Amino acid sequence: MAITEADVRHVAMLARLALTDEQVSALTAELGALLGHIDELQHLDLEGVEPTAHPLAMTNRTRADVVVPGLPREDALRNAPDTDGTAFVVPAITGGGDAS
Amino acid sequence: MGKDRLLDVLERYEAVIGLEIHTEITAANTKMFCGCPVAFGGEPNTRVCPVCLGMPGALPVPNEAAIEWTVLAGLATECDIALWSQFHRKQYFYPDMPKDYQISQYDLPFCSGGVIDVEVDGPGVAERLDLDGDVVADGPSPVAEDGGYRVPIGITRIHLEEDTGKMVHVGGSEGRIAGATHSLVDFNRAGTPLMELVSEPDIRTPEEARRFAQKLRSIWLALGVSDCSMEEGSMRVDGNVSIRPRGQAGFGTKTEIKNMNSFKALHDALAYEIVRQADLLDAGEAVVQETRHWDATARRTSGLRSKEEAHDYRYFPEPDMVPFSFEPAWIEGLAAQLPELPDARRDRYIAEYALPKADAAMLAADSETGCYFDAAVEIAGTDRAKQVANWMLGDLTAHVNAAGIAIGEARVTPAMLAELIGLVEDGTISGKQAKQVFAEAAETGDAPGAIVEARGMKQVSDTGAIEVVVAAVLEANPAEVESYRAGKTSVIGFFVGQVMREMRGQGNPAVVNEVLRRMLG
Amino acid sequence: MTALDLSALSARQVRDGIARGDFSAREATEAAYARIDALDGETHAFLQLTPELAYEAADRVDAARAAGEDLSPLAGVPAGIKDNMNLVGTRTTCSSRMLESYESVYDCTAVRRLLDAGALPIGKLNMDEFAFGSSTENSAFGPTRNPWDLERVPGGSSGGSAAAVAAGMVSISLGSDTGGSIRQPAALTGTVGMKPTYGRVSRYGVIAFGSSLDQIGPFTKNVDDSALVLEAIAGEDPRDATSATDAVDAYAAALESGVRGLRVGLATDILEIEGCAAEVKQSVLDAAEMFASLGAEVGEVALPSAKHGLSAYYIIGPAEASSNLARFDGIRYGHRVDDAEDVLDLYMRSRTEGFGPETIRRIMLGTYALSAGYYDAYYGQAQKARTRIIEDFRSAFEQFDVVLTPTTPEPAFRFGEKSDPYTMYLNDFYTIPVNLAGNCAISVPSGLCSSTGMPMGLQIIGDHFAETTVFKAAAAYEAALGFDTTPPLVRALAR
Repeated sequence: MAITEADVRHVAMLARLALTDEQVSALTAELGALLGHIDELQHLDLEGVEPTAHPLAMTNRTRADVVVPGLPREDALRNAPDTDGTAFVVPAITGGGDAS
Repeated sequence: MGKDRLLDVLERYEAVIGLEIHTEITAANTKMFCGCPVAFGGEPNTRVCPVCLGMPGALPVPNEAAIEWTVLAGLATECDIALWSQFHRKQYFYPDMPKDYQISQYDLPFCSGGVIDVEVDGPGVAERLDLDGDVVADGPSPVAEDGGYRVPIGITRIHLEEDTGKMVHVGGSEGRIAGATHSLVDFNRAGTPLMELVSEPDIRTPEEARRFAQKLRSIWLALGVSDCSMEEGSMRVDGNVSIRPRGQAGFGTKTEIKNMNSFKALHDALAYEIVRQADLLDAGEAVVQETRHWDATARRTSGLRSKEEAHDYRYFPEPDMVPFSFEPAWIEGLAAQLPELPDARRDRYIAEYALPKADAAMLAADSETGCYFDAAVEIAGTDRAKQVANWMLGDLTAHVNAAGIAIGEARVTPAMLAELIGLVEDGTISGKQAKQVFAEAAETGDAPGAIVEARGMKQVSDTGAIEVVVAAVLEANPAEVESYRAGKTSVIGFFVGQVMREMRGQGNPAVVNEVLRRMLG
Repeated sequence: MTALDLSALSARQVRDGIARGDFSAREATEAAYARIDALDGETHAFLQLTPELAYEAADRVDAARAAGEDLSPLAGVPAGIKDNMNLVGTRTTCSSRMLESYESVYDCTAVRRLLDAGALPIGKLNMDEFAFGSSTENSAFGPTRNPWDLERVPGGSSGGSAAAVAAGMVSISLGSDTGGSIRQPAALTGTVGMKPTYGRVSRYGVIAFGSSLDQIGPFTKNVDDSALVLEAIAGEDPRDATSATDAVDAYAAALESGVRGLRVGLATDILEIEGCAAEVKQSVLDAAEMFASLGAEVGEVALPSAKHGLSAYYIIGPAEASSNLARFDGIRYGHRVDDAEDVLDLYMRSRTEGFGPETIRRIMLGTYALSAGYYDAYYGQAQKARTRIIEDFRSAFEQFDVVLTPTTPEPAFRFGEKSDPYTMYLNDFYTIPVNLAGNCAISVPSGLCSSTGMPMGLQIIGDHFAETTVFKAAAAYEAALGFDTTPPLVRALAR
């Protein structure tokens, strides 16, 4: 399944990356080449093999429902590009985000 | 949009409704994946930490209590509890979501396949046109039941996820996105444990949707899993609705309705949407699949965004967490902790105290009211349960509503209410006096007995004492005695009034009457 | 006294020297910064120096000794930290424009434990941006040069951590390893690099690349120091739901016990890949001989699925990375364009400006692999291949205690030599399967390549939580080989 420029543009949108036409064509070639190697996985017979999401067989790791100190607000906001001193400031949302 | 329009539409179209109900687990002390406290409001960004801010390198660790609450919620709605489950990442960008993915559940939710029995009575029954059976809808069929009907509504799943932060949109009208110049983001709410319940598309009328949500809320309240405040957003209901010509099998195009902030809004928004879709179809136009907002003031739904990109959430197993494996014994242990749920409590009240169904349902609707009732009956005695119910649904409800307090906060305790009822039943005070005593007790918290003492309200039932007063009254009014004896018995009322005035209202009306009739003989 | 030469001392020797009073922690700190002044202009291992933190820590150690207290295991040992680990009082940049000015607001657990053991935080070390790379050429702030040959790469992504130890600027450093990012640069710089079992060291506070693959581990000049450092940083962390609850062994104490009877498996099938230099191959065969001569039972083992590791890794790694890097959106921190029209514009241009080419490549690859219609073909299939690789190792460790492979197919290459992404990725051919299976592995120097004079590395792989066995084997091999870890650049200083 060769990756097309249309695929690259769609994926860039999903990943919130603004690519120039040059970047799109370059990435289409690079990703195409990488996928060319990776596609060997398609030819493996892995019928009935369980997928592994985690290398260790651990389960049920949780924490007790106990309050622990968080961050002072100045630390929460310290690295923010724009704040009003209490909250993070973002530009208007004109349809861009996909709220659910 | 009048209700009759809805009924007219429902004559020709069948509505198919499914609900998605998000409930914050406000019973949890801490957020879903970090130790920040769960609370409402507060100074922006003061209940945050590296985890719920999505700081680089921070890792989520699941809150065991939130998972137990979710399993309890599943057990209370007859869901199957998964023996193997896990969290997934749901990926999309939005400023109120710190990591730009939401830790949620995908194909392995904690709970699935439950059901809630929904009872509909009153005017809402009319919305269910296939009740008489002439139109057969698919999905569960309703069972007629004294003056209304009952229908089981399926629950597809209940999964656990994290809530988002909150945004305030500045520069637009009434804090709406439209026209806003910028937005302020507060992450105090971000990471709050959030249960999402998805119903089967079994709902056929706006009234059933309302009743379903109300029933669910009463179950959550009985569990104590959440405060279920639709105003504060700890319970949020979204609806999917489509319509189809009656008798047609396939589904129509659905729309998703958001921003329904009350049970009334839920009913009205769905009713509006059903009629709107019918108007489109009648005009030969198509329903567009979209998300629409309910505007409670304009009383209409409107499309959210034209520029909405197709979602591709790219779910994959959350690699920062390991899966969950639940032992059946552990699940049974939780099931044993389930409190008495509203339906069971209501049925018990009907069976044990012969209360009217409506009264029983109101008393059983939330556990606080139910516990108050049980405590009062315990003291007053089973034979006085009816009186306890009347006082609670009457004066007590009126009082707590007026005072804006919870029933548990009322200064009239179950013991005091039982005492008050006792004073009426043994004739110490009249029903009229009891209302005064209740009002004063609600004010001061003083015991009814003490109030009766202090006010000298004790009712005189001693025949001897009353005979003395009656004799004096008859002597003072010979003319009236004449006319009574001449057959104008209606003057008895005049004599009662006189005697009561002489006794400053403390004569036992029944005894006074009896003595008067005898002495007038 | 003549200035202290950290190259000449192990971390243990530095700590013991301070304990004995031969020199002070402050002097050790000064020695570190003196060496950095002398060499780092050329090697560029450090992105940030933190003298105030280091001297404050040194003074605490000296005060403790003056008060007659027992010194902690790494007391006064100069340490460097890869710049993807949070430490309050430092910037944590991941060598990215995106985080150029990001100030840590909390501590990485492993770093905290290292410092609590008495180590001195000398500074933050260069890396490939967000750990995407095998040469540090992807650092937004310029590459690190290999102390053995400044024209060659130090490996990556933890190239700065490797170079700093190789050049004696610090005694120890922390790196992170997702597909070889500790072991490969260790091999290319003649240092010892350990990738612990997945979950052995907390990941809390290290900026995530591949959450199911990442592990923090030490760079040191010898195996004993490696064991010492891992003991300090390993163990369960309530802040990491994937950290292992198993008790941490006393690794260093077990080193002397030797390898008699140890079952050593030589992974012969994957030795025969194209691109594996003959000398590298030979060095592994020689190592096997050496183990045999030390009384180990050496045999051949096959890892038939290991050759699919690269493909599986370049789906799973980028998939997890694409998700982990979503949070860099210019809202709570990080690079942000100042003229955004709306939120979408802010996201798209801030991210594109903040990320370098390889980072964008990996995000694109991972996003594609998870996108609708491709999940099963790529991510799903890669997860199944991962299962096969785990089964390979499981059966291998039924027959053997450790498995030998080269760490890399070839020694350090020249800058710009591997412009094509895939040939660069091939450098991690031998290390990647270990991350996919979650096993532990160490890279120890296996001699110098005669043609280039560059170090080579032997990878010793162990079963889950078999770090003690791996250290024991590595220590025996190290002692038998007697490799001189001092690069020419440093020897030149002495003259």
